[in-house]
Amino acid sequence: MPKRIALKDSVSVDSVDLSDFARSVALASSHARVDVSGFNPTGVNEYLAGPTDQSVTVEFFGSYGTGEVHATLYPIHAGREIVPFAWRPDQTTPASTDNPELRGNVQLLDYSPGATRGDAETFSAEFVAADENGLAYFTTPGP
Amino acid sequence: MTRYLVTGPTAYAGHQPGEEFTATLDPGAERRALERGNIEIVKKAKPKQEEESDA
Repeated sequence: MPKRIALKDSVSVDSVDLSDFARSVALASSHARVDVSGFNPTGVNEYLAGPTDQSVTVEFFGSYGTGEVHATLYPIHAGREIVPFAWRPDQTTPASTDNPELRGNVQLLDYSPGATRGDAETFSAEFVAADENGLAYFTTPGP
Repeated sequence: MTRYLVTGPTAYAGHQPGEEFTATLDPGAERRALERGNIEIVKKAKPKQEEESDA
């Protein structure tokens, strides 16, 4: 896939297509840096990759209609539900090698919508990986 | 399997509003989608024992 302008991304939470209500997506995946340094002649530290911490943050437009953002996210947060999340660059084509889909089961530990007079209501929601499969990219369409 | 109608303004599980689809949804996912108004049940799946006796 060549360089792209993000326009057609697909974002779904709990199987609900919230693409039109989202304007940014960012994955965070990091392995803990575990210091396993011993005495050595150079004094350089030695590290191993430890446990993995993953989350994906989506900036949503606040919307309160049936089946929209609030109706989807708030029950997930309030009920401590674990739900599927998916994001791929091009919603007009299924997941493929040049349109990989990030998928995983997530929880919404924080829910903090807000509003400013005269501005479009937006807020960020951080979905945290909720099981041992984590968040991973797939090149074939999901179930 | 149960037959569902996508009733909300947004696509659900890859199906567009107004579209019907057949699936076996996880009970929790079905409950949430029904409560949110994403879907309605068109035809409920028969209990497993009943399906078997029909065969």
